[in-house]
Amino acid sequence: MSEDRKRILGMLAEGKITADEADLLLDSIGATPEPATTAPAATSSPSADWPTGPSASGTPKFMYVKVTGKDQVDVKVPLALLRTGLKLTSLIPPQAMEQINSSMSEAGMSFDLNNIKPEDIEDIIESLREMEVNVKSKEGDDIRVFCA
Amino acid sequence: MNAYLPPLVIDVRVKEEGSRGFRIWLPLFLLWPLLFVLLALALVVTLIADLVLLLGGARYHHYTLLVLRSLGLLAAARGTHVRANNDGSRVNVDIY
Repeated sequence: MSEDRKRILGMLAEGKITADEADLLLDSIGATPEPATTAPAATSSPSADWPTGPSASGTPKFMYVKVTGKDQVDVKVPLALLRTGLKLTSLIPPQAMEQINSSMSEAGMSFDLNNIKPEDIEDIIESLREMEVNVKSKEGDDIRVFCA
Repeated sequence: MNAYLPPLVIDVRVKEEGSRGFRIWLPLFLLWPLLFVLLALALVVTLIADLVLLLGGARYHHYTLLVLRSLGLLAAARGTHVRANNDGSRVNVDIY
């Protein structure tokens, strides 16, 4: 606190000036009220300029994975990668595809990649705009996945 | 054509609290001439294989497309960014 500010507040406390006069004097010295508490410096997000949620309209361009908590991790992946990857699945040789499907099935993902048709890919990408995954881990980390 | 342009640079920045950190700028574009030579050779082989499979009546004859799409997958990785903070340490990875 500056000396001028202390003196004005002291005069107000002693009743030498009114609250309005103190306000005027404080304005004249350019003093601004100090915050009652100083908040601890929050750990800034490693990518503060990235979107914080799914986009309201338009085709999403990127998939974002944000982990906040003790560790902060932000990942931005172009959806072109997903699009190209899905298109690639239709070109995988049948023998290799069978192996992939059986491996996925063993891992608990009963999902046949043959069911993804190239003409459905744009619809899948478009519908990702409405997708948002929020996970709160036991360690207190928040994990968010969305597309924007 | 741009969709098939592979990543040109990987920029890795590591900053530890209390140290200057370091930055690695990997010029991948220096590797691409070699990649394109290998790709051209691979395409010759896959074209011949596809032709033989097609003439033999095989249902699957898309090895050439598979190689080209794989290149597309590599190219689509451009624009990937990773930022990680942990107790004052920062790691940034950018693929351009």
